[in-house]
Amino acid sequence: MPRGSGVPDPAELVTRLVRFVGEILGASSLRFEIGPTLVVLGILLVLLQLVARPVSRWVSSDAGGLTAAGRAMSLAAEAGTDVVVSLGAGGLTRATDALGRLQTLAAMPVLGHVARAAARSGVPLRVLTNDALAGVVAQATLEAGHASTDTLERSGRSRVVVVGEGRPTTAGLVMTARARPAAAFVGGSLREEATLHLEGLRSGAGALVAGSAEPAQVSSILLAGGGSLVGPEPYQAAADLRADVNERTMVMAANRLIVIAVAVLAAGSALALAGLIDPASLVTGIAAE
Amino acid sequence: MRRPTIAALVVVVGVLLLADFLVVNASLSELAMLAIDAAILVAAGAALAAVAALVLRRSGDLWRRRGDPVGAVLVLGGAAAMLVAGLRPRGAGASDPAVGWLLSALVVPIAATLFGLLFVTTLAAARRSLDGRAGGREASVLVIVAIVSVLFLLPLSGSVGTWLSEAAGWALVIPIGAAFRGLLLGIAILAAVFAARTMLGIGAADE
Repeated sequence: MPRGSGVPDPAELVTRLVRFVGEILGASSLRFEIGPTLVVLGILLVLLQLVARPVSRWVSSDAGGLTAAGRAMSLAAEAGTDVVVSLGAGGLTRATDALGRLQTLAAMPVLGHVARAAARSGVPLRVLTNDALAGVVAQATLEAGHASTDTLERSGRSRVVVVGEGRPTTAGLVMTARARPAAAFVGGSLREEATLHLEGLRSGAGALVAGSAEPAQVSSILLAGGGSLVGPEPYQAAADLRADVNERTMVMAANRLIVIAVAVLAAGSALALAGLIDPASLVTGIAAE
Repeated sequence: MRRPTIAALVVVVGVLLLADFLVVNASLSELAMLAIDAAILVAAGAALAAVAALVLRRSGDLWRRRGDPVGAVLVLGGAAAMLVAGLRPRGAGASDPAVGWLLSALVVPIAATLFGLLFVTTLAAARRSLDGRAGGREASVLVIVAIVSVLFLLPLSGSVGTWLSEAAGWALVIPIGAAFRGLLLGIAILAAVFAARTMLGIGAADE
């Protein structure tokens, strides 16, 4: 270091950094044993791999029949009615558990998907929620749907209805509302009120797609009929929404090719292990000695 | 969310909380608590702002004579009643007896009345599924299994009753427990993946 400059040279800087990190490590200890710590880090790595992996390349199913949103909008436009999207009863800032609130977030991509289809068809949407903040996010999602389809002039026709606090309020509203939508989409946390909520919408709407990641409410969703998203499917649907049928067909074809390739490899390996074929001679045409 | 600074902030805070979860260090704990407190404050502020927006929106609806006037009056009246009960002078806030009365004498009975309809609606849905009018094969299987479960739970005496009781216990612990735990595992994994995708700004495929 030049005398009097006051600027440390790189070696000294690294030495100080190593010493600082060493002091921090010296003052720390592991909360768990080394085994559980490695397990936690391993789980984190697996989750990161799942996050980074393009899930939509592998999943070809149309979860919940959400790709039929366009058809529902056509029917709504023909009938001159609106379409209802219910965000469940979990909300975003309500005093409920984190998984319930996360389901409201998972319903937002579904709302965006429906909002884009509605914006293209000029169908007004009615979004029901029991949480004011979820209402604000839903309004922003609706406007984003109109912005992405260049139909901002239609955005005033859709509305977000904050039905009030509590889980039964949305169910009460849908059971008593007189307006009959052409289709209804339900996503988010549904608990004891699930059957009331879904029955209220089903009796009024022409078509129903319902989803909730509450394990205890699988029966309510299946009994309601229509498209269903149960168990982990609402989270999966949020990542795998597709508007394009061709893309899904391509994924399906690619998956089948992969299955065929794996089957050929497995069958070939089994035959080779059984001594029935010699892979080298089969490929090169030269019999093994 | 498309801004890289927000995603970077999420990653930094996430790594900080993970490090605090795994390592015992006083400075790290203080930093983690600071991050958690900040998140709670932001969420509380957002909730307050959202409620204020709701009140303004409903007041605007009434003023401009649009939307549902009865609903707007009920929302504004309910919010005003709760605010007066909780924030009146010498009141005890959320634990004030007036707030408790509003909840226990109004909100809870109304909700209970609504839930009283569950029995009727569930039976109607089950009947519709058995008729083949809704739900398809899955719903029919569900209703049939429910009927079998009800038979298992019949309060009969003697050896038949004992056998039915044991069968009900077995059904609860083995097949139903396995399906339920499988659902919980799948939900937990995909919830974590969805949360990470949301925070890192990885959007849906059709956007």
